[in-house]
Amino acid sequence: MNSHAAGTSNGGSGDAGGAGAGAARRNTRMPKYSKFTQQELPACKPILTPKWVVSVFFIVGVIFVPIGVVSLLAARDVVEIIDRYDEACVPGNMTENKLAYIQNSSIPKDCTRTLMVTKDMKQPIFVYYQLDNFYQNHRRYVKSRNDAQLRDPSKANKTSACEPEKTTADGKPIVPCGLIAWSLFNDTYIFARGNENLTVDKKHISWKSDREHKFGKDVYPSNFQNGSLIGGAKLDPNISLSEQEDLIVWMRTAALPTFRKLYGRIYVDLKENDNITVRLSNNYNTYSFGGKKKLVLSTATWLGGKNDFLGYTYLIVGGLCIFLAFAFTLLYFIKPRKLGDHNYLSWNRHPAGR
Amino acid sequence: MAEDHHGSSRHMSASQKDLGDEDARVVRVGDAERTSERLEYAGNAVRTAKYSPLTFLPRNLFEQFHRLAYVYFLVIAVLNQLPQLAVFGRGASVMPLAFVLIVTAVKDAYEDWRRHRSDRAENGRLAAVLSPGEGAGAQFRPTEWKHVRVGDVLRIVSNESLPADMVLLATSEPTGVAYVQTLNLDGESNLKTRYAKQETLSTPPDQLTGAVIRCERPNRNVYGFQANLELEGESRRIPLGPSNIVLRGCELKNTAWAVGVVVYAGRETKAMLNNAGAPKKRSRLETHMNRETLFLSAILVVLCALVAALSGVWLRTHEEELELAQFFHKRDYLSKDKDGNYNYYGIAAQIVFIFLMAVIVFQIMIPISLYISMELVRLGQAYFMIRDTRLYDESSNTRFQCRALNINEDLGQVKCVFSDKTGTLTQNKMEFRCASIDGIDYSDITRQQPVEGDRIWAPNISVNTDSELVKLIRDGGDTYQGRHTREFFLALATCNTIVPMITDGADPKKKVIDYQGESPDEQALVSAAAAYGFVLVERTSGHIVIDVLGEKQRYEVLGLHEFDSDRKRMSVIIGCPDKTVMLFVKGADSSMFGVIDKTINSDLVQATEKHLHSYSSLGLRTLVIGMRELSQAEFQEWQMAYEKASTALLGRGNLLRGVAANIERNLRLLGASGIEDKLQDGVPEAIEKLRQAGIKVWVLTGDKQETAISIGYSCKLLTREMTQIVINSHSRDSCTKSLDDAISMVDKFQSFSTDSQARVPLALIIDGNSLVYIFDTDREEKLFEVAIACDVVLCCRVAPLQKAGIVDLIKKRTSDMTLAIGDGANDVSMIQMADVGIGISGQEGRQAVMASDFAMGQFRFLVPLLLVHGHWNYQRMGYMILYNFYRNATFVFMLFWYVLYTGFTLTTAITEWSSVLYSVIYTAVPTIVVAILDKDLGRRTLLKYPQLYGAGQCEENYNLRLFIFIMMDSVWQSLAIFFIPYLAYRKSVIDGASLGDLWTLSVVILVNIHLAMDVIRWNWITHAAIWGSIVATWICVMIIDSIPIMPGFWAIYKVMGTGLFWALLLAVTVAGMIPHFAAKAFKEYFTPSDIQIAREMEKWQDTHDVTHPEVQMSTVVRV
Repeated sequence: MNSHAAGTSNGGSGDAGGAGAGAARRNTRMPKYSKFTQQELPACKPILTPKWVVSVFFIVGVIFVPIGVVSLLAARDVVEIIDRYDEACVPGNMTENKLAYIQNSSIPKDCTRTLMVTKDMKQPIFVYYQLDNFYQNHRRYVKSRNDAQLRDPSKANKTSACEPEKTTADGKPIVPCGLIAWSLFNDTYIFARGNENLTVDKKHISWKSDREHKFGKDVYPSNFQNGSLIGGAKLDPNISLSEQEDLIVWMRTAALPTFRKLYGRIYVDLKENDNITVRLSNNYNTYSFGGKKKLVLSTATWLGGKNDFLGYTYLIVGGLCIFLAFAFTLLYFIKPRKLGDHNYLSWNRHPAGR
Repeated sequence: MAEDHHGSSRHMSASQKDLGDEDARVVRVGDAERTSERLEYAGNAVRTAKYSPLTFLPRNLFEQFHRLAYVYFLVIAVLNQLPQLAVFGRGASVMPLAFVLIVTAVKDAYEDWRRHRSDRAENGRLAAVLSPGEGAGAQFRPTEWKHVRVGDVLRIVSNESLPADMVLLATSEPTGVAYVQTLNLDGESNLKTRYAKQETLSTPPDQLTGAVIRCERPNRNVYGFQANLELEGESRRIPLGPSNIVLRGCELKNTAWAVGVVVYAGRETKAMLNNAGAPKKRSRLETHMNRETLFLSAILVVLCALVAALSGVWLRTHEEELELAQFFHKRDYLSKDKDGNYNYYGIAAQIVFIFLMAVIVFQIMIPISLYISMELVRLGQAYFMIRDTRLYDESSNTRFQCRALNINEDLGQVKCVFSDKTGTLTQNKMEFRCASIDGIDYSDITRQQPVEGDRIWAPNISVNTDSELVKLIRDGGDTYQGRHTREFFLALATCNTIVPMITDGADPKKKVIDYQGESPDEQALVSAAAAYGFVLVERTSGHIVIDVLGEKQRYEVLGLHEFDSDRKRMSVIIGCPDKTVMLFVKGADSSMFGVIDKTINSDLVQATEKHLHSYSSLGLRTLVIGMRELSQAEFQEWQMAYEKASTALLGRGNLLRGVAANIERNLRLLGASGIEDKLQDGVPEAIEKLRQAGIKVWVLTGDKQETAISIGYSCKLLTREMTQIVINSHSRDSCTKSLDDAISMVDKFQSFSTDSQARVPLALIIDGNSLVYIFDTDREEKLFEVAIACDVVLCCRVAPLQKAGIVDLIKKRTSDMTLAIGDGANDVSMIQMADVGIGISGQEGRQAVMASDFAMGQFRFLVPLLLVHGHWNYQRMGYMILYNFYRNATFVFMLFWYVLYTGFTLTTAITEWSSVLYSVIYTAVPTIVVAILDKDLGRRTLLKYPQLYGAGQCEENYNLRLFIFIMMDSVWQSLAIFFIPYLAYRKSVIDGASLGDLWTLSVVILVNIHLAMDVIRWNWITHAAIWGSIVATWICVMIIDSIPIMPGFWAIYKVMGTGLFWALLLAVTVAGMIPHFAAKAFKEYFTPSDIQIAREMEKWQDTHDVTHPEVQMSTVVRV
């Protein structure tokens, strides 16, 4: 107290007084006050009031139902022609032994299919092949690749993880190595409407990013597909990987065991009741594992292909929300409660009941 | 425990152990070489650091892997390294474990580096050691502390720290006294006196060489020491006791120098042996959490077994086809063996591999990151508790201390508080209030007034004096009554262990006396004596000087029987200036009335007893004072016995007790004193709040029944409408009977009270003796029945170990969370026994604090600690654990659904890095932030409605029901996340990486929105954490997809360009959240909890209360 009084009376010793006060402050271990340390930060405390609950359900419902309707309509607009040809293309005398048929390279694999256009199809028409029961997501399959090798010619020897299609029998590295590349799909399709050939544009069927960054412009296939078991297509060793678009598409492994892959596009409008003749070579072996091969011609919308599911989802979720909005409104009327009424506190409801 | 400041029985036991010669430590004074030649005694270098640079890695890893969770982590990482099971790449699989290990190791290394630094500083300090020079050239040379050895003779100067435990040989004072401050050892700031033995005082230190000290083995008992000293050429053994030893860590004060010989050094010093770490306890929430972790493990095993079994079936049905299937490629044409299979070992082996791989893929079902999160959250909570200005005690300048970091949330579930009285409920600042002298009561407050007149001596504690008494002492020196009154105050001035420290005051004519002593009661009594004119001004080991009414008189202290908790009294034998020998005894009334000769004046005894009764019903602590003049023969007989007993090595304590019992008899009653032990601030209010919160408060005290009951009333523990059940028996049989009566009484009241409105509150008052009988006769069960039926339990006259026994009684028989709070050494056992132990850092030293889990300055802080911080901690931790379970389970279930569509081969569409980062980065921060910052209710509401504390007591925030609900939610959300995109993308060109990215983002968004929906208070940090972590996830996914050699290169950019992706993300989020939102809305409105209603009140009604805060629990005013 004394020193403090002295400090204030003596105007000149302001510094000394300040230092003394500072020392006092240092001595006390009292925590410094701040909104953070006292857990008093300004905060918003939302509470689910009836108004909020009903409006949230209602708004979600109101947004979802129209989206559902729009996407259903969009999906309905898509025209899709699907033709399963793996069974039909087996010659009648070999239906009992399809495996022998497909493995025997001396049997011609050509096959002709006729497709009827059910509705007008606007160009571009996407040509897909669809494989069923082909587990492109099987663990031992999906791992069997080496991405370093695909983009850099100097890393051709990097074949780790490519088992069991890593090297040739005499130890030379395979480019592109691995099961995925080895099993490249090799059926081909030629389309004609009557006598008019329909050109399939196979340019840019793969992702641009893959062509430019993932598959090297100067990486060429080598030692590819010359083992004792042939998995699928062969690659032209003179064309660089970045231009082998079928391979690039194939190597984007599908997420699900039934999948489509883009084969090409047809830039011609098709009319209802047009007959499309497809001459295809049925090379790819799906018979060994009971898979199916289908050829798909489809138009596209902003939502992708012909799939009603998204529309139904939105309709169901939206409908449910509107229903809940009404249900909650009803409940709030039947059993109202005053919010924040202290009479509802348990010890007020049953006094001394604790 | 008022009466046993002098050391609880716990401390006695170690010293009482008989000291045989064979296990004694032999110290040769001044001859460290020979001392250590046979047995290697520890050197004086201390080492608190755990690691050295060489041992750091192995030891730190070893310690870290003590946690089961880390071992689980490790086993999974090792499994993943087997080529057949390699699910993740090397880097991804080891990363989480490595991350955790490195973070912890860095933290440990930093802490250890600091310890190393302080060790180095400590070991490098200098001390003056006597080096045996040639001939007479022996002199003290500065030596580093680490080179000091047992047997070295050291010279310490004033204000210097002691480097080791030393027996004093000589000091600068001619009487051989030395004052030490034991602040570092037990936190008591008063000075303690230590003595050098007369026999060694005058001998120069270098001539003591050859003397031998035999002492106990090193032990941790700070208050005990037994040894003897054998001088060269003398057969007599000089006894050494606790007053002859000074301990490492103490400081020499007010003494120019002291010389001593080192008997314990380094890690064998008492200070180091007492340096035990914080106790390890485990919170209840964590124990419950382990139960749910077991459930999760079971779910994990079921999932893995299911996948393994299905894969077996799949392989079996496709066995023929896999030979040629392009995606399986069973044969390995590269192997030497032409028929060899590639990575295929038959269905049975494949099933086993799949099972193990499934464990690796689904590993985060057991949320390992949770353990780290919990530690971080507890750190955060501790930070807030320590920083809370309302838990800061201004009077002692102490902050709240968190000593145990793992039971924060237990503070929210306490049902039973066991409190010490003295120093906890009361201040332990004793004030002399009244006296009954010679059967006359001097307690009339109206007559009391401050000391008047000019006095030379001014004690630092001022006492009001009774004017009549002052007059009687001054004028009535010749009357019988006046003589007795003088004797009474002389007894107060002599019969103690107080050391007066005299300093010059502001007024040069006045001297300020600071009475230093270990017992606040004695300080009060000596100050009172001083106020009435009997001023203790000097104490040495042999005599005291008392200023009796202005005239200095010298009294020889011939003997002193120290206080112990068995005798409950102390006595001094004083040689008066007139050559008479007096015995003064003071002690608890129960022990004193046994040794008082009631035949001398039975009226006096009765009157005094009546006064005592009225004092203690005022809540005063009472002491009875008696005296006897010893005849010369009696004195000599006693002296012989005393000397024999005090030099004995074998059972010295018992012998001394015998001697004391022999002399302390047939006393003449002088009177009794009443000392007020003031309640601490806010104690009644705090107890009221705790009671409202449904917490039972038990008070365990060493005081007698009347004092305890009156304190009970004054702190509102007992109320007038309570029915008291008193069990206070002197024999086993009567105890049994009163216990039976109590039970029938409880039954009667309970049968009345079917209607809860008419319930009569009960209070049980039981004393220590009865407790002993009850614990002896296995009637604990009945006592327990009575005790839990009562609202208040008061236990008086209990010994320290009985306190622990009472806590154990409740802990063993119920699942109630117990909390013990106390401040003294006598509370240590109780603090350690209870689930939560709280130490008051107050007057009685630091032992309670050292043993506690939390320490604070005031009892009233218990209210904000439990009701506010405890509630928050529990609510936050409970939610965080549930949320972590949910969050990881959702992810695992989502992976599981996908596995069903991959031929059961455990492919994950989500990249391995995202799987690993999911619980570490994508979703970790928000849960930690929310668990540290979210508040369900504000401080004001929680204090206004203490009943809200019930939420923690009934485990409302964490229980099996909530766990099941949140798991059901988790399954539903995983279904929504997986199946909506699956069905939308069926038969499309979607690739694995794009779908994986969609799933990663949807699961992270969904779990974060789930958390957001449960957050109660949004401040900017919460916003940043939740939305930030969604953004961070997005960025991480983009970064991963920007690496060209990842199979999923550019997938996120590609998929984000499609409308379907956004439509699906929205659909998944909304569909996933509907059940949680609807359930929450329903529950909060139609079946609201108290917490919910209080939240609503806080939002709408309490705004006008803000200006009138109802409770001000803290005296600290915010600046």
